[in-house]
Amino acid sequence: MNVLVKKLWRTIWRTKGQFLAVAAVVTVGIAVYIAMNTAYYNLDRSKELFYRENNFADYYFHVVKAPQAVVKQVEAVPGVAAATGRLQKDVPVLKEGGGRATARLVSYPLPMAGCVNRLHLLAGQMFTGHPRSGAVEVLVDPQYAKANGLRFNDEITVVAEGRRVSLTVVGTATSPEFVYPMKDAASLVPEPETFGIVMLPLNQAQQILHMPGQINQVVIKLAPGADEEKVAEQVESLLEPYGNLASYPRKRQLSHAVLQAELDGLLTTSRTLPVLFLGIAAAIQFIMLGRMVKAQRLQIGIMKALGYGNRQIIMHYAGYALAVSAAGALLGSLLGLVLASTISQTYARYFNLPEAIGGVNARALWYGLVLSVSVGLLAGLTAARGVMAVNPAESMRPEPPRGAGQTVLEHWGALWRRLGPAWKMTLRAVARNRLRFGVTLVGTVFAVGMLVVSMFANDAIDYILQRHFYREQSYDYLVRFTAPVKESELLNIARLEGVYKAEPLLEIPVKMHFRNRERDDVLVGLSPGAALKTVTGVDGRPLALPGEGMLVSSRTAQKLGLRVEDRVTVETLLGIGPARRAEVKVLGVSRQLVGDASYVSLDLANRVLRERGLVSGVMLRVDPGRAAGVEQALNDMTAVSSVLSRRQELENFQQNLDSMIYFTAVMVAFAVVLGFAIVYNSSVIGFAERRRELALLRVLGFTGREVSGLVWRESLLQAVLGVALGLPAGYLMVLGYARAISSELYSLPAVVYPATYLLAALGGLLFVAGASLLATRGVSRLDMVDVLKNRD
Amino acid sequence: MAQKVLVKMENVTKTYVMGKVTVQALREVSLDIYAGELLVILGPSGSGKSTLLNILGGMDTPTAGSVYFDGEDLSRAGDKRLTRYRRDEVGFVFQFYNLIPDLTARENVELAAGLVERPLPAEDVLREVGLEDRMDHFPSQLSGGEQQRVSIARAAVKNPRLLLCDEPTGALDHRAGKLILGLLARINRERGSTVVIVTHNTAIAAMARRVVRMRSGKIAEVAENPSPVPPERIAW
Ligand SMILES: Nc1ncnc2c1ncn2[C@@H]1O[C@H](COP(=O)(O)OP(=O)(O)O)[C@@H](O)[C@H]1O
Ligand SMILES: [Mg+2]
Repeated sequence: MNVLVKKLWRTIWRTKGQFLAVAAVVTVGIAVYIAMNTAYYNLDRSKELFYRENNFADYYFHVVKAPQAVVKQVEAVPGVAAATGRLQKDVPVLKEGGGRATARLVSYPLPMAGCVNRLHLLAGQMFTGHPRSGAVEVLVDPQYAKANGLRFNDEITVVAEGRRVSLTVVGTATSPEFVYPMKDAASLVPEPETFGIVMLPLNQAQQILHMPGQINQVVIKLAPGADEEKVAEQVESLLEPYGNLASYPRKRQLSHAVLQAELDGLLTTSRTLPVLFLGIAAAIQFIMLGRMVKAQRLQIGIMKALGYGNRQIIMHYAGYALAVSAAGALLGSLLGLVLASTISQTYARYFNLPEAIGGVNARALWYGLVLSVSVGLLAGLTAARGVMAVNPAESMRPEPPRGAGQTVLEHWGALWRRLGPAWKMTLRAVARNRLRFGVTLVGTVFAVGMLVVSMFANDAIDYILQRHFYREQSYDYLVRFTAPVKESELLNIARLEGVYKAEPLLEIPVKMHFRNRERDDVLVGLSPGAALKTVTGVDGRPLALPGEGMLVSSRTAQKLGLRVEDRVTVETLLGIGPARRAEVKVLGVSRQLVGDASYVSLDLANRVLRERGLVSGVMLRVDPGRAAGVEQALNDMTAVSSVLSRRQELENFQQNLDSMIYFTAVMVAFAVVLGFAIVYNSSVIGFAERRRELALLRVLGFTGREVSGLVWRESLLQAVLGVALGLPAGYLMVLGYARAISSELYSLPAVVYPATYLLAALGGLLFVAGASLLATRGVSRLDMVDVLKNRD
Repeated sequence: MAQKVLVKMENVTKTYVMGKVTVQALREVSLDIYAGELLVILGPSGSGKSTLLNILGGMDTPTAGSVYFDGEDLSRAGDKRLTRYRRDEVGFVFQFYNLIPDLTARENVELAAGLVERPLPAEDVLREVGLEDRMDHFPSQLSGGEQQRVSIARAAVKNPRLLLCDEPTGALDHRAGKLILGLLARINRERGSTVVIVTHNTAIAAMARRVVRMRSGKIAEVAENPSPVPPERIAW
């Protein structure tokens, strides 16, 4: 073997701790890169494939009702490639056990070829329009089927137009619009037990819903290059006579928005985290090799004297970085593949994408290797270029010149004089090694920041949970009716045994207009003294509900540029009865973390509808011991469309937290690896540089403990500064992250609990302490004689 | 003349084991060092001088034999006791100065002063070695001779009973070397410190009243020199 290669191996073996530490950082960087990229690539590919194969709609139009023939007219609009008319309606499901759920009936024309938003059969068989049995054949989404233990040929009972209808489940299916089957933006997560997609032939839907020859939705596919906005405007005017309820592009389609946000998050992470890790790994190697070249000045001089050229020697040192990168790339690829499969499995659980998500992304592997090796080589070559400056004759002289000098602090006379020699030594050492200290500090800051970010997700969720479930809505049940009823009818419910309190509400889907802008919103009327629902302001404090005027949703206010005292036009989109318009004054801005609504008094809501005493639902507080009975009684009422149980919502929500905890743990582990590796390396280097000095102090009579204290001062400085800067940095990272994944549909509050800061600070102190302890564990056993003899 | 023995070495042996090879750096060395004397230990490179000095200074312990300082056996002392011994009783001067590069001349001296109960004033000592103008300079800003003077000041500021110097002039030119030896002689004379100077330079032996010659880990001879020459007049 080449002697230089042998020397390289010995060097690696002698510095194996440092080697492993840097390789670990590279490993994490590459692993994140490969995992996120693979997951992104696979998810995006299966999404695109699925969307294409099933003709995912570009635009959605909801109307009150329209004759089927209007679809032909829509199709004739220039820019529309295809249009499909359909019926979609949420209806209550009466479960066998007595519980209730909501089924979203969605119709499909038969034959389905050429239709926009086709469905994809997952199991069982396709429904037929006119089965001989006379049954109504339907397909359901797989989550609902699983959560409710449905098997093929099981029947489900729904209430439509006041009648019970039996539907026969013949299989499970999904469609691009139900990849993430969430009921509406007000839901936190999918609730497969109480919400399901039920797909059925158009003719059956028309019959069940008593809408023969009618549709209430048109979904279109745009021709390539068509102007989305213009086409939408034309279609809207075409549908105008049938009562436009809503129209929105694909990007505001709920399932797509959630999936896209996930993809965006993956892409952002896969682009930032690896850069961070590889950058820090490169910086550590730069410092390590720079120091190695300096320390081995004599050896380099000798090699040169023997006739080795600069290039050979530089490659020898850069070889170290190359070895680190190769090791990191290898381990990172393995870890990355494991992580990628875990991530993909998680996605497979949450998203209904039929195309298998999996497969090794060979390109990501290759890029990872290239990325790692080129960053390593770059760091190695830059650091080793110091070899060129070594003059063989000069290198053999003792005591390489060391630039000690005054530090900035020394100009603060009074403060400086008060410091003991130990602190002076520490500060000057820091000043002398500004680059190393700086890089270590940056690494520590990022690691602490990452700890904050990793744990922040839990805070945000808990905050939402606390605010949503415990402060804003204190009802146990939210009951919605199939159609608005007179308030007096609530007595039937209020009188149920076990109901402590019943408070009415009237929910009206509306479009708000202000100047030239508009936005869809929900107007919620509450009785003025409502205790079961608290409306909170932007500052998180409760707002009193005004008798006149509205507490507008912060998102609507933002979108329309609304301020307090402005007057907005509210247009109702109820679907039954004529659309009404009314002017309402804005008296405050409310902010909901989940869902989105504007609040008025019950009375004002009725006046907007030009009605009196109508309610669309009721909030209940019940005796916990009698909850089951109340639920049973509610489920038996035909006028009831859905019963939302807070307990169940909570349980559902908590079930979704498992995977989050897993990812938090992985991120925390990565942050610790980063922090540990950088502090360890820097401490090893610092310790090596100061070995002689420290041994000397032992000779002078300093105790082992006093000398350790000296080493510890630097670590302490590092830890304290790192934590002090890392916590605010973490908050900034949280803000950036929250902003990156927030959309018009949902937002993540940038809330970080003090406990998280405390834990992150503690974590930071711990990894700095642990790493420096490990790096300097020989300090009290320094061999004085040996150290003073060996002059490097 | 009844002189007080400050350090007594009895059959001190030091063996280094390196794998299969063992090196006997010291073989059954016995030596008395008297309080207040200036002793020169002379010998070729590798004869065991530094090993002897390191054991004397409590930096190393003998493999066999005993070392008594002021009657106390140091060869059985633990790290704690040896640290206190170095701190309270010993001052070191090395060939390559070994100053702390991050501390100025004054701070290097203060560093040592801080270790003992009653140090001499740091500035006085620096003045005595002629560095009153260079007190706030860092080692890298000082010449070799000046650095060695700081090193002497750092050893002397503790006013130690035992001042151990390993090749103190080894890295210096003639003029600077003589200045250093003069300072050591003065400390011996004026403060009564016991000074041990280790060197391979035979010329230096002339300044001591007693000279120990070493060869291959053994004391070959202890010579008395009735008329020591002041260092200023030594030439090499
Ligand atoms: N740590 C050690 N390990 C092995 N051998 C050593 C060690 N220290 C000194 N020696 C050996 O002991 C002998 C005496 O060394 P030393 O006391 O340094 O001599 P001097 O100072 O007279 O030049 C030499 O042969 C040297 O190689
Ligand atoms: Mg020696």
